[in-house]
Amino acid sequence: MHRRMRGTAAMRVVVVGAGEVGYHLAQRLSEEHQDVVVIEAGPEQAEHAAQQLDVQTVVGNGASVSALEQASVREASMLLAVTSHDEVNLIACLAAKRLGVPYTVARISNPDYYETDAVLSQEHMGIDLMVNPERECARETVQLLQNPAFTEVAEFADGRVQLVGLKVREGAPVAGKSIRDLRAQFSGGYHYVTAAIVRDGKTQIPKADSTIEAGDRIYLLVPTSEIDTVPPLAGYDAFDLKRVMIAGGSTEGQYIAELLEEMHVECTLLDRDRRRCVELAEHLTRSLVLHGDATDLELLEMEGVSGSDGFIAATGNDETNLLSSLIAKEAGAVKVLSLVHKFEYLKLIPAVGVDAAISPRMSTVNAILRRIRRGRVMTVASLSGIEAEVIEFVVGGDSRIVGQALKDVDFPKEAVIGTILRDEEIILPRGEDVLRPGDDVIVFAMPEAIHHVEALFG
Amino acid sequence: MSLRKVANVVGLLQVFIALSLVLTGLVALAYGDGDATAFFQSAGITFLVGGGVYMLTRFEGDVTVREGFAIVTMAWTATAVFGGLPYLFSGVLDDPVAAVFEAMSGFTTTGATVFADIESLPHGVLLWRSLTHWIGGMGIIVLVIAVLPYLGVGGMQLFRAEVPGPTPERLRPRIAQTAELLWLVYFGLTALLALLYLLGGMGPFDAINHSFSTMATGGFSTRNTSMAQMSPFIQWVTIVFMYLAGVNYALHFRAATGRLAYLKDAEWRFFTMILLVAAAVVTVLNLASGSGSGVESSIRDGLFQVMAITTTTGYVSADYAQWVPGARMLLFALFFVGGMAGSTSGGIKALRVLLLLKQTGNELRKHLHPRAVFVTRIGTKPVREEVATKVVAFVILYLLLCLAGAMALAMTGIDPLTAIGGSIASVGNVGPAFAELGPTNNYGWISSPGLAVLTFLMLVGRLEIYTVLLLFHPELWKGRRSFH
Repeated sequence: MHRRMRGTAAMRVVVVGAGEVGYHLAQRLSEEHQDVVVIEAGPEQAEHAAQQLDVQTVVGNGASVSALEQASVREASMLLAVTSHDEVNLIACLAAKRLGVPYTVARISNPDYYETDAVLSQEHMGIDLMVNPERECARETVQLLQNPAFTEVAEFADGRVQLVGLKVREGAPVAGKSIRDLRAQFSGGYHYVTAAIVRDGKTQIPKADSTIEAGDRIYLLVPTSEIDTVPPLAGYDAFDLKRVMIAGGSTEGQYIAELLEEMHVECTLLDRDRRRCVELAEHLTRSLVLHGDATDLELLEMEGVSGSDGFIAATGNDETNLLSSLIAKEAGAVKVLSLVHKFEYLKLIPAVGVDAAISPRMSTVNAILRRIRRGRVMTVASLSGIEAEVIEFVVGGDSRIVGQALKDVDFPKEAVIGTILRDEEIILPRGEDVLRPGDDVIVFAMPEAIHHVEALFG
Repeated sequence: MSLRKVANVVGLLQVFIALSLVLTGLVALAYGDGDATAFFQSAGITFLVGGGVYMLTRFEGDVTVREGFAIVTMAWTATAVFGGLPYLFSGVLDDPVAAVFEAMSGFTTTGATVFADIESLPHGVLLWRSLTHWIGGMGIIVLVIAVLPYLGVGGMQLFRAEVPGPTPERLRPRIAQTAELLWLVYFGLTALLALLYLLGGMGPFDAINHSFSTMATGGFSTRNTSMAQMSPFIQWVTIVFMYLAGVNYALHFRAATGRLAYLKDAEWRFFTMILLVAAAVVTVLNLASGSGSGVESSIRDGLFQVMAITTTTGYVSADYAQWVPGARMLLFALFFVGGMAGSTSGGIKALRVLLLLKQTGNELRKHLHPRAVFVTRIGTKPVREEVATKVVAFVILYLLLCLAGAMALAMTGIDPLTAIGGSIASVGNVGPAFAELGPTNNYGWISSPGLAVLTFLMLVGRLEIYTVLLLFHPELWKGRRSFH
């Protein structure tokens, strides 16, 4: 559960579109106690949102000024246009900006609208943030794929810092050592913050004398540039992503292949529509495109699914994806991921043995929430495995925490400052460090400590 | 299919040919070799016939695709027939077939000649030979489209049927503007080359003739020894300009407007690489065999001959028939390649060769991945499957045509090896071939039936096979509706 950030006044947020993305955005923001107004053209979806959520709904076209006025858009501090129509989202943002909304976000799928040097660039149209759902999904998938050790990955500070969760293996270099020892021993290597240790289902924020044991799940805040150094410390072999197979030539599948091509990963993509295959082959210069079904075992085996480092089921059909993932897992693919569109199916994932599931819509919701700033809170991420939350604050001039050495601050035991970002610098906090206004601070906090932490930054 | 429309456009074209005959006649008059009358007579006949047909067959409306094919083929045939008249009237040739052959060889920029002693020919005849090259190089139709945009939409059909390469590029929204720009670049390069020849010490008459011939990738010279007796400077200049003539004119046009796009063009890279590698191999082979007369001249000869054959110019600077077998075989292979699409050269064209190689590579990979979908690319640009298939069909047709031509020539009593060389050199619009049609020989000894076969091969080669062969397809003549 998210709770209202104390010290930050409630904002009025207008959400255009109550499809799955809009609905979940409205839900999350409303749970954070923001004042949410949803504009939706379909009366049924609007009704559904009105009944299920603590939000105001307006039935109408989000791109029309009258609907926006009805939603009192002039008083809103943010507009999120997340219908499945790019053009509606663009016009809604344009109109909102003219009506004085300071911050607008548009969900845009068509890459043509992203051309930065175009006459109609993002700035010209007054859109502060454009989020491409398919690309967000592809990025999340590739991040998970890159490292089979990670069970969770969340990005902060525009991707410069990542929070990763992973299980410590038997005989790992960090096993049986205290945090203090680790810092001394790996002065060069272990300079990330251990945010949490989960042992027997209980989460604890580690102190200097806490020890990490084999079997623990640890959460680390790591600069993105050093992410590769983490798995070996936890006892994982260095993992080299060399061959990936993608079953399903959806837009997400294509973007995943594009990202992998950039990383020089050998990529095989298959789709059952021949025309789509030709299109994919035209777009993807280095990937091998196959015409066939995602569940065609013979084809998958012939093209070497058993030797793949990664397998991603990325068709538009959840049932096909799950079946395809099972086949790949059975055949011996190292890490198997699946796109899952229906939220109800996400629960089934651990049971069927797929390594991770990515919900394209959820990754859009997360991407938007991660990047929009709500008062001093820049980002909130909740982790599925544990109760703790990761919050990115920006330090204000009147924040109570400013100007004192961290060791003198009355910081709650159940929270830890993970990282300080000062301009381009990524600082691992020590007792002597002093926070300055403008710093970005990533805090890892247990629920009971959140109020206290918010007060310090408020 | 409206024969009226075909006749009309063909007739109009002949008026242009009459005009160029008059111009040549005026030059002949100035030199006073006594051949001026022949040109004025030819011009008169051509003008009366062409103009008459044009006046009698005027029509409203547009040219269809089918008519386009017929027009282009007929226009080229008629042009060769009328263009051959001055050779007969001036008395340098007696055989009408030989006259048409010489004219066709000129217009198709082949450069094969029936004359043994070129230097004894009157100035008018020499200039006419070079001028036919120059006119045919960029294309008779393209010239007319540039001057007379009245052909409208039908102009595109004609343009497509005449311009070498699988898919001609449009530089401007209107086809007439595109044609005009192409001629502008062509004219500019020719003028520059003539100037360089003058600087290199060539006489004005030779300079103009050779610049026409070089830029058209033709091969007619005003000298019996072609380029062999020319100074190294002139030979180097010729190497460079043969190369330029073999490059897609759209690239030159871009360069002229300040956008150097050569390096970005995959066909250009391929074409240039073939030339350089082949020239290097030939040079090394010649140097190793000790037949070269020095490093510079060996490099120059190697580059010159590789360039002359690949761009299908067909100039001779050295008797390559005397080279080591390896070098000769390499040249033989180059007879097929040709220049770039959208250039004045003949042959299969580098673009098609490149596409064919890539296509073949993909077919091989298909054995490893039977279910894979491959897209053939030229550079980063994907090529549509139909286009790729057409190219494969074209190359097969091309080779079959060479074979059929050789067969027909052999039937007229020509030795098979010579027949093969002659057929390939004619289809590719190269000119000199091998054996008895080698660089030091000429086509004068071939019988009339043989010359007729060669004339046909040159035409089919210049118009890239389909345009001509379609005329022999019964469906073109039937009333069935075409959906193009």
